[in-house]
Amino acid sequence: MITLNINKKTYNVDVDPNTPLLWVLRDTLGLVGTKYGCGIAQCGACTIHLDGNAVRSCVMPVSAVGSKKVTTIEGLSEKGEHPVQKAWLEHDVAQCGYCQSGQIMSVAVLLRENKAPTDADIDAAMSGNICRCGTYLRVRSAIHAAAELQRKKA
Amino acid sequence: MEQHTQGSILPVKTIAVLCGMVTVAVIMSFGFKEEIIADRHTRQGMEKDSAASVAAFMDVYKVLMSPRCMNCHPAGDVPLQGDDSHIHSMLPQRGKEGKGVYAMKCSNCHQKENLEGPNKPPGHPDWHLPPASAKMVFQGKTPEQLARQLVNPKTNGNKSLQQLIEHADDGLVKVGWNMGEGRTPPPISHAEFKKAWITWIENGAFAPKGK
Amino acid sequence: MTQQKSSINRRAFLKSSTLAGGGLMISFSWLSAFKPADKGIPADLPEQWAELSSYIKITPEGIVKILNPNPEFGQNVMTSLPMIVAEELDADWTKVVVEMGPHDNVKLGPQFTGGSNSVRMYWRPLRQAGAAARSMLLQAAADTWKVPVEELTAKAGVIVHPKSMKSGKYGEFATKAASIPIPKDVKLKDVKTFNIVRNSMKNVEGQKIVTGKPLFGLDYRVDGMLIAMIEHPPAFGMKLKSFDASEALKMPGITNVFQQKLYEDGFEQGGFDTRSFNELLVVVGKTTWQVMQARKKLKLEWEPAGETKDTMGGRGSKREVVVPGELESTDVQLKKMQEYATKPAQQLRKDGDPETAFKNAAQIIERTYNAPFLAHNCMEPMNFFAHVTDEKALVAGPLQAPGWSEPTLAKLLGLPADKIEIQMTRMGGGFGRRAYGQYLYEAALISKKLKSPVKLVYSREDDMTYGIYRPMYTATYRAALDANKNLIAFHVKGGGIPEHAIHANRFPAGAVDNYLAEGWQIPSNITIGAFRAPRSNFNAAAEQSFLDELAEAMGKDPIDFRLELLQRAKESPVGKNNEYDVDRYASVLKLVKEKSGWGKEENKKYSRGVAAYFCHASYAAHVVDIVMKEGQPYVERVFSAVDCGIVVNPDAATNMVQGAVVDGIGNAFYGGLTHKDGAVEQNNFHSYRIIRMNEAPKKIEVHFVENDIDPTGLGEPPFPPVFGAVANALYKAAGKRVYQQPYNSQLNTPRAF
Repeated sequence: MITLNINKKTYNVDVDPNTPLLWVLRDTLGLVGTKYGCGIAQCGACTIHLDGNAVRSCVMPVSAVGSKKVTTIEGLSEKGEHPVQKAWLEHDVAQCGYCQSGQIMSVAVLLRENKAPTDADIDAAMSGNICRCGTYLRVRSAIHAAAELQRKKA
Repeated sequence: MEQHTQGSILPVKTIAVLCGMVTVAVIMSFGFKEEIIADRHTRQGMEKDSAASVAAFMDVYKVLMSPRCMNCHPAGDVPLQGDDSHIHSMLPQRGKEGKGVYAMKCSNCHQKENLEGPNKPPGHPDWHLPPASAKMVFQGKTPEQLARQLVNPKTNGNKSLQQLIEHADDGLVKVGWNMGEGRTPPPISHAEFKKAWITWIENGAFAPKGK
Repeated sequence: MTQQKSSINRRAFLKSSTLAGGGLMISFSWLSAFKPADKGIPADLPEQWAELSSYIKITPEGIVKILNPNPEFGQNVMTSLPMIVAEELDADWTKVVVEMGPHDNVKLGPQFTGGSNSVRMYWRPLRQAGAAARSMLLQAAADTWKVPVEELTAKAGVIVHPKSMKSGKYGEFATKAASIPIPKDVKLKDVKTFNIVRNSMKNVEGQKIVTGKPLFGLDYRVDGMLIAMIEHPPAFGMKLKSFDASEALKMPGITNVFQQKLYEDGFEQGGFDTRSFNELLVVVGKTTWQVMQARKKLKLEWEPAGETKDTMGGRGSKREVVVPGELESTDVQLKKMQEYATKPAQQLRKDGDPETAFKNAAQIIERTYNAPFLAHNCMEPMNFFAHVTDEKALVAGPLQAPGWSEPTLAKLLGLPADKIEIQMTRMGGGFGRRAYGQYLYEAALISKKLKSPVKLVYSREDDMTYGIYRPMYTATYRAALDANKNLIAFHVKGGGIPEHAIHANRFPAGAVDNYLAEGWQIPSNITIGAFRAPRSNFNAAAEQSFLDELAEAMGKDPIDFRLELLQRAKESPVGKNNEYDVDRYASVLKLVKEKSGWGKEENKKYSRGVAAYFCHASYAAHVVDIVMKEGQPYVERVFSAVDCGIVVNPDAATNMVQGAVVDGIGNAFYGGLTHKDGAVEQNNFHSYRIIRMNEAPKKIEVHFVENDIDPTGLGEPPFPPVFGAVANALYKAAGKRVYQQPYNSQLNTPRAF
């Protein structure tokens, strides 16, 4: 049994310790907001927060999680009102939407560490998240908007 | 020429070339020796052999310039990747501490250990680049430049020669020989590298001149 | 949709609702797991819906539910199609709930996502549905108030009788309206009076997307569901010789390993039943990871498949198609294409006397362009859920063309079509790939064999190496100039593996007196399929690069040159069957010229390239501005002009064009799939480079030509000309022309991956 703290809840899972966290979330716990895209940490669709870091869950063995806190897109905010989520809706970022939970989780870390990211900061933070529909412009403008929302809130 | 036999896998032709270079190094590396002489004085009674030192360094150099070492000592602020040392996909940035930035920290992908299967990020608990304050660039460096950089505390992360010797067994250095499926290890074994590394340092940490 | 069919369906529904009281909701049972977005609407949707047509349901509380008929793969039809209904219905958009419709070609029409068809195919039927429903509601109000229907008006879901000052909401009349016969020939609105269509509305699934709700096929789960994966041969032209699954079967969670044939010998395949491999080795287990681990324990032997035969049905008569057995390599393919290019080819169109014109030319310009296979790389890999029993089948997943898959599925399962329920989940991208339902068939056959609900999952590697790619193309363009540098003849000869890309009746056909188009193809076992603007995506790269070079040779501005040719085609068109509308084509060029500040001093710092193209009945032109960034050419900004007729949802349409531009830049610079002895050399994103944030432009300014033409295509048309515009800008930046895609390989720059 492995005990996990996910979105402020405790889960006990009986899985092979080498199982990537991604598949525990998706197959074992039904938290399917975290997406499978490549399985080799190339696309960022599986990004979750592990103690606040934007970890690619497809390459993170569940045994390595330990007592660290996992946050998935489902737990980023209670009602989808995180500034990043709000900005995403306001800028209607998504096309197919598949990569967006990973994008949003990455942005949440960027904005926690940098309250007013420049375009260069955004490039540095976000080039690990592929969007096959090419919504990068809107991701960028929504990040600036989310930063603004966050500043107003603070 | 005995020095060269120690774990050396250099072809004969290369050895001949190196002999010539060693001579040059002996003559021309005084300035360099001056820089580190204080440190070497602490090793009482040790015979300094510039030829042996420089020869050993050429083995060291081959290892440090192999993709497994150089890829994380890039000339720019983005690591390299693969046996062809291409720029790391998705351009992760060095960051102040060498651990990446924002959503692109090294450990977000690089786990504590290697993962099974091809094309997955190699692992180590402390995966990182040299920090921005001491970038320790290998890429593009000549043997002389690299040797000088390695022994100079200002450019080696403030390491003494003793600490340098110990660095051969650093976990992140050793992981170069165990980087998971599909990654060619450095040209000589870690044991051979360590021997060459220590030989180089203990014989005076001479820099091959003009290369 | 015809009025008559709606009428029948309405009666059928009313009957079932009387009997079952809420039967309609049951028919959407899978959606109960996918809770509707919280838009301030009660979570428990009323069970009594008045159905006014196949698309519209209204509750007594006035909530309007509109079914989206077409599969959603990011083109935003979940929003734009219901907007069209709501417009004619005069619904209050804030009270509209959108649901994905079931697969039902009779009720909901063709249900095909592809060919930039969704909006143009549904434009009229959905307007009629909305208008009919509005008319019925007004009639119900008129009957209730006993006033003439002509005296009523409706706005935002409220009916008003100005004379008596009476007003009421749609919901109040919904039940009564349901008993009114569906009217014929309802007058549609004047497009100039639209107040929902042509206004930007947010994606109705936005909230679900940003909160990670289960929307996609891969998210589909039912209790007791097994996971299946397929081991396909490591190379095209190979097949399974033998396997030993004893170790794999010992792995935790693994339930079955077995061989499964997809199509039995002689099975008549429909036109979209493409499959790369017919003998499947299936591994089944409890979780995806367990199956992935067990696959590594399989001991597999492969052997050359040799020449095989497919039996094709569909359009035309049943016929046998020979699939060659060669283990193909990219270098050999390129050589073969060079050989074929010198052989006589099929003539596709000829105007005037091109041979003589070329003989008499003062100057001939000849250039050859090549492009590799491309993988679609949908972010959500292929997958499908299936639960097949002896009596019926339920399948759910990402699919662009359920109507084409259903007949094949029925034949494969031996079930009548009405026992097959296809549920269309949101797709994590499609780009044409999901028009080919082979992964759905595989899932269904696996479920049938296992007698269990099962989800078939492709890994990224499975997905990328499976096939159904954009073909490998080449084309040689020749132009003849007279002594005064006038264009007197134009010749294109295109080929490909396994098909060529030439659209013989497109620009500049019609604009040149002497014109010849030819095509040839080389059969292959590497399977191909539609890829965002099939054929056009290569033509617009090659032809638009060539026109740029031609303009330069003639000493003309590239935009002026195109406009001159178009003027010629307008004044005295050459030949017949010219597909494009000269004025619409010219309009996008003029618009992009104006908006980009073409030729203006302040833009001289950019290396600029322009291109325009016509496809899917729409027109798009781009000006691409390249700068050098850290020694690499970087497309910093793009100006786009598009004529797609009426723009239903402008902000979403802008997003679509921006995405198409980014996709185009990415594929132009980096896209490419190569083969070695039949094996694909790229199998994941470490080796198949996809454009990323840092490589995407900072600005893409999108301008739509304003007109009142019924909507034409949008998902595809902006994509092809990006390739040409990038090539032409690269010429300005690098000083040399690029003829081989991906362009990055031509630029002597270090690979950035």
